[in-house]
Amino acid sequence: MAQTTVAAPAERKPKKPKRSQFSGMSKALVRRETISAYLFLLPSLVFFIGFVVVPMVICVVYSFMEYSMKGIEGFAGFDNYIRMFQDKTFIRSFWNTVFIVVVAVPTVTAFSLWVSSAIYKMKAFTRSFFRCVFYLPVVTGTVAVTVVWKWIFNAYYGILNQVAGTTGFDWLGNEKTAIWCIIMILFTTSIGQPIVLYVAALGNVDKSLIEAAEVDGATNFQVFWKIKWPQIMPTTLYILVITTINSFQCFALIQLLTSGGPNSSTTTIMYYIFDMVYKFNDFGYANAMGVILALIIAVFSALQFRITKSN
Amino acid sequence: MKSKLSGGSVGYKIFTVIVLILLALFFIFPLYWIVTGSFKDAIAISSRTPVWFPTQFVLDNYEKLFARPALRWLLNTVVMAVSAMLLTCLTASLAGYALAKKRFYGRGILFTIIICAMALPKQVIVIPLLQEMRTLGLADTLLAVILPTVGWPFGVFLMKQFSETIPTEILEAARVDGAGEIRTFATIVFPMIKPGVGALAIFTFVNSWNDYFLQLIMLTSKEKLTISVGIAQMQGEMSSDFGLIMAGATLAAIPIVAVFIAFQKYFTQGISMGAVKG
Amino acid sequence: MKKFLALLLALCMIFSLAACGGSTESAAPESSAPSSTAPEGDTVDLVLWTYPVGTLADNLDGVIAAFNEVHPEINISYELLDYQNGDTKVTSAIQGGTAPDLIFEGPERLVGNWGRNGLMVDLADLWAEDAAGDISTGVAEASQLDGAYYMYPLSVTAHSMAINYEAFEAAGALQYIDEETRTWTTDDFVAAMAAVRDAIDAGTINVITPGIVYCGAQGGDQGTRALVNNLYSGYFTQEDGTAYTADSEENIKALELLKTMVDDGSLDANLSFAAADELQAFANQTCAVTFCWNYSNYVSYAEQTQFTPFVMAFPSDDGVPELEMGMYGFGIFDNGDDAKVEAAKEFIRFVCNDADTAAECIRYTGFFPVHSDMGDVYEGTDEAELKEPFALMSTYLGRFYNLTDGWTEQCALWWPMLQQIFSGTDIQTAVTDYVTQANANIG
Repeated sequence: MAQTTVAAPAERKPKKPKRSQFSGMSKALVRRETISAYLFLLPSLVFFIGFVVVPMVICVVYSFMEYSMKGIEGFAGFDNYIRMFQDKTFIRSFWNTVFIVVVAVPTVTAFSLWVSSAIYKMKAFTRSFFRCVFYLPVVTGTVAVTVVWKWIFNAYYGILNQVAGTTGFDWLGNEKTAIWCIIMILFTTSIGQPIVLYVAALGNVDKSLIEAAEVDGATNFQVFWKIKWPQIMPTTLYILVITTINSFQCFALIQLLTSGGPNSSTTTIMYYIFDMVYKFNDFGYANAMGVILALIIAVFSALQFRITKSN
Repeated sequence: MKSKLSGGSVGYKIFTVIVLILLALFFIFPLYWIVTGSFKDAIAISSRTPVWFPTQFVLDNYEKLFARPALRWLLNTVVMAVSAMLLTCLTASLAGYALAKKRFYGRGILFTIIICAMALPKQVIVIPLLQEMRTLGLADTLLAVILPTVGWPFGVFLMKQFSETIPTEILEAARVDGAGEIRTFATIVFPMIKPGVGALAIFTFVNSWNDYFLQLIMLTSKEKLTISVGIAQMQGEMSSDFGLIMAGATLAAIPIVAVFIAFQKYFTQGISMGAVKG
Repeated sequence: MKKFLALLLALCMIFSLAACGGSTESAAPESSAPSSTAPEGDTVDLVLWTYPVGTLADNLDGVIAAFNEVHPEINISYELLDYQNGDTKVTSAIQGGTAPDLIFEGPERLVGNWGRNGLMVDLADLWAEDAAGDISTGVAEASQLDGAYYMYPLSVTAHSMAINYEAFEAAGALQYIDEETRTWTTDDFVAAMAAVRDAIDAGTINVITPGIVYCGAQGGDQGTRALVNNLYSGYFTQEDGTAYTADSEENIKALELLKTMVDDGSLDANLSFAAADELQAFANQTCAVTFCWNYSNYVSYAEQTQFTPFVMAFPSDDGVPELEMGMYGFGIFDNGDDAKVEAAKEFIRFVCNDADTAAECIRYTGFFPVHSDMGDVYEGTDEAELKEPFALMSTYLGRFYNLTDGWTEQCALWWPMLQQIFSGTDIQTAVTDYVTQANANIG
C-alpha cells in the first residue's frame, strides 16, 4: 500500500532516509515541498514549541539540578539519574508500571478491535449506541467514577463481594488483587477512544477489495487479515502508542483508590513522581524520573513502530 | 455470499450480541449509579444496602451545587473545551497532513520530538509551564489551559495517521491540474480526513473537559474554575459529599454526551464516504 | 470549502472570546502582582487561600466585609483549597511564583513545611503584641521553629475517637467506659471491643465489624498514631525531637495488641481505607467505633448518622490519655512586598484578636480558642451542649511532635508500615525498618 511506504522514512534515523525520502524529486521540488510543509506546520508548531517544547526543555534542565522547595540549590550532574537505580521504590514502581502496560495495552487493543468489528456493520443507531456506551466511562470524569468503583470494591458491603460470593474480601487492600482492580478500571476508561477510531477506520476500508476477495472465495479470516488489517494499520499504530502512553501515565485512579498500596503493589512511576514532587518536594529527582519515563515510553513506541511496519 | 458479508455463523452472531449487551450494562452502570445517586439523600447514598433506585427524588444536591457558581464553571469549561477543540482540529489537521504527505527536511526529527513530548508526564511539565504562564501574564486565565492543550501533539499524531490513508495519486493529480496547496488541502485532503477530524474534535473536547490536573494548577480564582476542578474540590480529607460530587458529575457529563452524539454524524459521514469511494 | 471557512470563522470568534475573557479577567491578578512597585495607590490587594476547616471558608465573605469596614483600603480575595489537591496547588504556586499572600492551615504545613523552607514571614511582632500572653506554651511552641513564628493561631482542638453509643449499649459494653471523663483503660477497650464482636456474632447489633484500623492512605493518620501511642503510653518521638520512637517497647506492645485484636476479630485492619472511608463506615454503622473524630467530622457526618456518636478519648493503660492537637491559624507567604505583609498582619489581628470577630471565626472553625482569656466562645449558643465533650477532650492534649524534622517523610512511611504489619510482616522488622528510614530524615 502507498501509506506504508510513505510512512517508512519518518521512523528511520534522520540522517539516512534523506536519500529515500526525496528520491525522484528535483531540488526545486524539494525546496517547494519543504517550504509548503513548514507553512502547514507553522500554526501547530507555534503552540507545540511555545507550550510543550519550552517547558519540556526546562524539565530536562531541572533534572540535572538540586531543586527543592527552597528553589534551585545547585548543579547535581547525573546524581538524580544515578539515584534512581539505587532507589528500591523506583525499581518496584518501574516493574508495576511495566506490568500494567504489558497487560493493558494488548487487551485494550484486541478488545476494542473485536467490539469495533462486531458493531461497525450494525445499523446506524445500534452502532452509535454501543460506541457511545463504551465511551461513557471516559465522559463521566475520574473523580466520580472512582467513587463508584470504591463502593463496588468495598470490603464490607461492596457489590463485588456479593456477586463473587465472597465475604469481607478487600479487593483493593490485597496485594494480589489491587493491581488487577486498577487495570480493570483503566481498561474501562481506555477502550472508548480506540473503538471510535476502529469503527471509523473499518468503515473506510475499500469495499471493492473486500468484494473482490469474497468473489475469489476468501474466508472471513482471510478477508480480515489480508485486506482490512493492513488498511487499518495506521489506526492500530496510533492506538498502540496512545494506549501505551496512557497506561504508563496511569495516575489519578491510583491516587484516588489505593495511594500506591498495599505494600507498594500499585505504586507506578507516575504515582512515585507525583509523590516526589508534591509530598517530598524533590523537584530535581522527580524531573529526572520524568525524563527517564519519557525515554522508556519513547523506546516502547519506537518498538511498536518497528513491529507494525514489518507486519 | 451474503452471510459471509455480514460475518460468520448465526451462533457466533448471537454470542457477540449477548456479550456486547452484558458489557454495555457493565459500562453503563457507573453512570447510572452517579445519575441516580445525585438524587439520593445523604442516608440513601451512604447506605450499606444498595439503594438501586432512589425511593424519593431529592434535589438537595443540585441546590447545593447551584449555590456554588456551577453554571459559571460550566460556561468556563465550555469556552475552554470548544476553543481547544477548534484550534486543535485546525492546527493538527494541517500539520498532520504535512507530516504524512510532504517530504521535507527535518521531518524525521520533528516526528521523534513529537513522540517524546507526548511521553513526558504532565505532572512534571506543569511547574515550568506555570512559570512560563506567569511570565506571560496568563496565569489564572483560561488561555493558560487552552494553549498547552492545543500544543499537546496527540492531535498532530492522530491526523498524521489519518492522512496517511489518502492515496498519493490523488494529490499528484491535483498538482498536475494546477491546484494550489491550500486548495488541495481544503477540497481534497480535508474531506477525506473528516472522520478523523470528527474523532479528534470529540477527543480534544472530552480530554480538555476532564483534564482537571492542568486546570487545577493553572486556575485559581473561584469565578475562573472549571467544572472538573469544582468537582475535585468537593472531596474532603475526612468526608466527601458524594451526593454533591455525583450531581456535579451529572451536570458535567450532559454537555459531553451531547457533543459526542452531535459528532456521531461526522463519523457516519466518513463511513458512507468510504463506501462511495469504493 | 464553505464549511471549512465557517469552521475557521467560528474558531476565530471563540478564540477571541476566550482571549477577551482571559485578558479582562487577568487584569485583577496583574494589578496585584506588580503592586510592589506601586504602593502609592494606598489600596492593597491580598489573596487568601484557605484549607477547609469547619465552615470558616463559607463565611469568609461576612468576615471580610466586617474587616473592610475598618480597613477599606485592603481588598481581600479568597480561594478555597481542598485536602485532596491543596498541597499540589500550593506547591506548584510556590514554584511558579503565584503563591498567595495569606494562607489558613495548621502548623504541619505552615511551620513544618513552608516555614522550614524559608517561604514564610516571621510573625514574631504579632506574637509580641499579644501582651496578655494567654496563649498556652504548647500552642506557642507549635507555631514556631528555631525561634521564628511562622503561624498565628486561631483555634485548637484535640483529635479523639468516638463510639456508637447505642451499639455499645446493646452489646453491654458501656460498663467498660467512664462516661463522665470519657476515658477507658486498655483492658477496658479490649473487653469492650470483644463484647461488641460477640454481640455482632450473636446478631444483637446490626454492625459488621467492631472497629477498623485503617491504613490505606495517609489521610487521618493522627488517629492510628494516637491509638498506638496511647495503648501503653508510648511516645511517637523522643522528647527533644531527635528520633522517631515507634520501636519503643510500649509501641511494639501496642502494635502486638492491635494485631492480636485483629486476629481474634475484635478489630479489623483495612489496607485500602483512609480515615474518610472509616468515618463513612462509622456513620453507616459498618463499624462501631471511629479512631478519627473531632467536631468538624461530627458536623460533616451528622446528616447521615442515625445513632449517637459518643466522643471518647483513646484508651490508655494508665487511663490517662494524651491526645494529638489539631491547630489552625494564618501564615504569610514572603512575596517580597512589605505593604502586603503589613496588610496581611492587619487582617490576622482582626480575625484572631478582635474579641467579637475572633469568637465568631472560632465558632466557624468548630474548635476552641487559643486565647485562654476568651473563655467559652460557645456559651449561650445552641451548640454549647454539643461542644462540651469536645472541650473536655482539649484538656487531654499531649505532647505536640508534629514539627519534628522529617515529618512529611515519616507520614509517607507510617501507613505503609501498618499495612506491612497487618499483612503478615513481623512487627519488629516492619517497625525497625520504618524507624530507620524516618530517622534518616532528621537533621
